[in-house]
Amino acid sequence: MKRFATWAGVAGLAVAATLAATTPGSADDSKLEQLKEQGFARLAIANEPPYTAVAADGKVSGAAPDVAREVFKRLGVADVVASISEYGAMIPGLQAGRFDVVTAGLFMKPERCAAVAYSEPVLCDAEAMLVKKGNPKGFKSYEDVAKDTSATIGAPGGGTEEKLALNAGVPRDRVIVVPDGQSGLKMVQDGRIDAYSLPVLSINDLMKKANDPNLEVIAPVQGAPVYCDGAAFNKKDTALRDAFNVELAKMKKSGEFAKIIEPYGFSAAAAMSTTTEKLCSAK
Amino acid sequence: MEWDWDFVWQILPTLIQGVKITILATLLGSVLAAVVGLAIALLRRSPNRLISRPVGFFAEFIRGTPLLVQLYFIFYVLPDIGILLPPLVAGVIGLGLHYGTYAAEVYRAGIDNVPRGQWEAAKACNLSARQTWTHIILPQAIPPMIPALANYFVAMFKETPLLSAITVLELMNQAKLVANSYYRYVEPMTLVGVFFLIISLFSVILLRWLERRYGRIER
Repeated sequence: MKRFATWAGVAGLAVAATLAATTPGSADDSKLEQLKEQGFARLAIANEPPYTAVAADGKVSGAAPDVAREVFKRLGVADVVASISEYGAMIPGLQAGRFDVVTAGLFMKPERCAAVAYSEPVLCDAEAMLVKKGNPKGFKSYEDVAKDTSATIGAPGGGTEEKLALNAGVPRDRVIVVPDGQSGLKMVQDGRIDAYSLPVLSINDLMKKANDPNLEVIAPVQGAPVYCDGAAFNKKDTALRDAFNVELAKMKKSGEFAKIIEPYGFSAAAAMSTTTEKLCSAK
Repeated sequence: MEWDWDFVWQILPTLIQGVKITILATLLGSVLAAVVGLAIALLRRSPNRLISRPVGFFAEFIRGTPLLVQLYFIFYVLPDIGILLPPLVAGVIGLGLHYGTYAAEVYRAGIDNVPRGQWEAAKACNLSARQTWTHIILPQAIPPMIPALANYFVAMFKETPLLSAITVLELMNQAKLVANSYYRYVEPMTLVGVFFLIISLFSVILLRWLERRYGRIER
């Protein structure tokens, strides 16, 4: 009987957990009104300068949150608050309603476009690799990493680089998931991984901070396309996304957009030369 | 939220890879913890203060700092002084050292529980220190400790997801990878819970059996 009670308890907990998890989210078109009322929008960022950065005092900057802050200000949302998240957790977090928008250099790819509602392009960049001085294994592309059966490559979990490496044929056990830029840098320095891959500007920023003469940057990685990110919204919030796009387009036209992102090293012209539709339908 | 059985079957092989690493890390960690714990317990009893004091300090230090911090230290800081360990080895050492200090307390209690008369009898029989330990004290001290030690090993098993912080591809990390590529958390995280629950429940049964078998002290 006691055993039965234990199992009943376990089953009861499971049922309670299921019920709690299935409480329906409310779909609404008045998301913007709601954000205005609460006075802030919740961003997901990654702390990967220059895309997104958190200073030692906790102040959020970086090109992507700066653009979002300005657009939201124009929409009447006074402020943004950001929480740091892993790349892989951003889209599920957005779907679960933990953030209102992802502004983290989450590059547009068809499968991501299917999962979220992207704004027009914001930040564009190519891919790069960080390797030891002299590039001892002679990497030029992700395919080169795949060919060398002893080579390992580090990339952010759920990031674009991880998928590029896997798609190039690098087996899963040689693609090491690195939690953050600093760890990736350290792992290359220690020889735990042969290359660490991030977008060009992120790698350059890491290099500048590390100031280590024994490292070298390969940029751009051959065969990897130039990607653009956009602010990613929940599929339900297309009205908010459309409003965001209107203000973003105005800023692009007036040159204020360039003024925000170019000090970080991004090209405004690159973002303005393409569209979300084009990027989402790319292979 | 919907539950997708096809997705479950698709990701199951990947997760089972993770379960294997989780179990391997727990087993190796347990062996290391048992050995380290015994060494600490014996050295702390040393009459030579130059040995007992530093060992005691070391044990308290490890016991008083979080496992996650120790793992980061072993994995990211030790390479600076030339010690470069593979992720799994670093993880096993972290688990083994951390739980070894807990196990040391269990050993201490077990050894202290052996009646004084046994020590005196051993001395009266002219047994050497080594013979006293191996033939008289440890055989009586260890059986009552087994359930308590096993308890710590079950606890260690549930701490293994911390190893995902140092890139060990154990169960939790595999589940995160799956969630990262499919944008779904429901199935992978539920399965992680289920795997841990199943193994823990079996461990509890084993623990009960150990208790019945060794827990009673016959005097």
